[in-house]
Amino acid sequence: MEGPPSDETLLVGVAERDMGAFRALYERHAGWLALRLARRCNDRDLVADAVQDTFVAVWQKPRGFRGDGDIAAWLWGIAIRRLVSRLRQRTDVAVVFESTGIMPAVEDQVLLSVEYGDIGAALVRLSPEMRAVIQAVVLDGLSAKEAAQLLHVPVNTVKTRLYRAKAQLRTTLAEGLA
Amino acid sequence: MTASISLSGVGRTFGATRALADVDLDLEPGVIGLLGPNGAGKTTLLRLLATALPPSQGTVRVLGRDPQVPAERTEIRRRLGYLPQEVGFPRGFTAFAFVDYIALLKEWPQPDARHAEVRRVLDQVGLADVATKRIRAMSGGQRRRVVLAQALLGSPPVLILDEPTTGVDPEQRVTLRTVLAEIARTSIVVLSTHQTEDVAALCERVIVLDRGRVRYDGQVTELVRQAAGRVWLADQPDPTARVSWRTGTGRYRNVAAHARDGVEHVEPSLEDAYLLLRGDLPHGKPAEEVAS
Amino acid sequence: MTGWHVDDETLRHYVERTDSVAEGASVERHLLNCAQCRARVNTAATAVDLAVVDLAAVWDGTRDAVEVPRPSVFERLLRALGLPAHEAQLVAVASAFRGVWLVGVAAVLAFAAGAAVIGHARGLWFFLAVAPLAPCLVVAFSYDRRWDPALEPETVTPYPTLRLILLRTVAVLAVALPAVLLLGLVVPGAAPFAWLLPAVGFVALVLAASTWASPLNAAIAVSAAWLMTVWLLAARAASPSAVLQPWTQVAFLVLAAASFGTFLVRRRHVRQLRPWR
Repeated sequence: MEGPPSDETLLVGVAERDMGAFRALYERHAGWLALRLARRCNDRDLVADAVQDTFVAVWQKPRGFRGDGDIAAWLWGIAIRRLVSRLRQRTDVAVVFESTGIMPAVEDQVLLSVEYGDIGAALVRLSPEMRAVIQAVVLDGLSAKEAAQLLHVPVNTVKTRLYRAKAQLRTTLAEGLA
Repeated sequence: MTASISLSGVGRTFGATRALADVDLDLEPGVIGLLGPNGAGKTTLLRLLATALPPSQGTVRVLGRDPQVPAERTEIRRRLGYLPQEVGFPRGFTAFAFVDYIALLKEWPQPDARHAEVRRVLDQVGLADVATKRIRAMSGGQRRRVVLAQALLGSPPVLILDEPTTGVDPEQRVTLRTVLAEIARTSIVVLSTHQTEDVAALCERVIVLDRGRVRYDGQVTELVRQAAGRVWLADQPDPTARVSWRTGTGRYRNVAAHARDGVEHVEPSLEDAYLLLRGDLPHGKPAEEVAS
Repeated sequence: MTGWHVDDETLRHYVERTDSVAEGASVERHLLNCAQCRARVNTAATAVDLAVVDLAAVWDGTRDAVEVPRPSVFERLLRALGLPAHEAQLVAVASAFRGVWLVGVAAVLAFAAGAAVIGHARGLWFFLAVAPLAPCLVVAFSYDRRWDPALEPETVTPYPTLRLILLRTVAVLAVALPAVLLLGLVVPGAAPFAWLLPAVGFVALVLAASTWASPLNAAIAVSAAWLMTVWLLAARAASPSAVLQPWTQVAFLVLAAASFGTFLVRRRHVRQLRPWR
């Protein structure tokens, strides 16, 4: 019995102008993409527009995916850049990276370190501005210029904060090892 | 407004050729099949019903209106869907774009309502997933379905279909039959086809045309009954039979003009009855009567 | 892919945004590689009823963006000129107005204007020959059945065919006449608007002639007649602007009016409408 079609198969369908495949791709990915984008931008309409732009872009260039890595990562790359593009026109919208959670418990920290090493804990000790830059550049894969557009700060500020954040992370991790 | 079509003494001539003569018909809601060989006048009759052509003689009334009167002709066209035998497509059109264009001509100015209707009919013919494909890149059967979709816009009370099942694969024919059966509950569907199976599956009523004249007009079951006792199977083709052909099982199916005894009779199909009817008709060159 | 998946509680924190930065980063990294957890996030988001975004509405918008044909430049121009959206779409759909043709016609006109500027007298004759013909040729293409594939379904729709023909003609004139005028400004030696009446005259002539023959044949006949006339005049007269005297302008005006009148009187005979004489 065949399982559900893979993302790659759906993408081939999209290239052949199959609306059914396109819709299936949408239903698989629009949800988590919207959620992840909303964690960076508190304007619902902008997030909705960015999600729409993302899928329209996928329709227009389905062969843009080079087959390297997961399609989800490719989709996220498109989505975050579409959000940046939309944010560029608006200066009144905030980009929020704060979370309201508590420090993870020790057991969780151990689990997290399976995925991330001690970076998880080290990240928390950064200041919000530096964390935002790390999140944008390191975790979301944006370039310094794109991060500057996202955060509404000059490019040089992004670079400086990145440099300092990485230095601080290195120190924290080195302390952790000792 | 009557839900019917009636033709009275209708004839149509093209130059010296008489394509239709002395056609008297009264059509009510349901599916009516039009059978006949090439040149019998099926397409001409359908064009007449679709208000694409006027008759040379006689009167036509569609939904109680006279197509010769321009205002009434427009009223008929508002309630009519037509699938012609051959359609050309503008280059670069997707299925959606084509049906959308016809929808515009069918007076759907509002884009939201129009797009929803376009999607509805494309879905009805099973093309919802390929709406954005270019028509010129589609298979013949798919193209036929696109043109059927435009005929279904607005769920018209009169549906004229010229060979709707040509080139359509068996699965899709089943879907089409379901769609047409549904529509025929309240609409008049007139379809022409070469496939007797389609008529047998879909139509209660059949009209057989030959050289521009109506040769049979009645229930499908009645026509089939005419062949009762005249169809049998044998191991060899029977020379005394009117028609004889080899079936898939290797045996020969024979159809004769008169009932035969002492043979392995089988249930007659519409095809058998149709062949018999064709055989009963006068042979010879098609009549070329000059228009009077 | 590892066998590790996000546990339910962390997932819930992530969806509700009560997670910590580290948790969030970890979950997001994992989601990029795990279809199973992505599906769980989708389900959790709907279950918690956190309508982050109306996904159904976004789907509708996406589908429209992808399915509905985009208006062409010509269509947008017509809308800007005041034509209602659906009529602009009907007009612009004619293949005569789609990209390639318009560019072709524009190129020919530009070439003719260039020739007139450079070659002076010779060029002027060339421009005189070509410029007034361009609009009537485009009009003919826009409703001749050979170029717009015979859409038999089109002819049995309630929309009046005559209106369609006239709309397309007016659309052509609205764009072509200013173009001819502008080019006429470039060409030395004659009043710019002198080219307009001949152009209008020929369009009307083609419309009238299409009640006897197909539009394209009519346009070709008109073009041939005009080119012949110009050639004969060029062989005899000194300057082309002699042709554009007031009396010839009046003659073209009369031609335009008479042709259009004929067209209206015989409108039932237009090729597409012919069956219903």
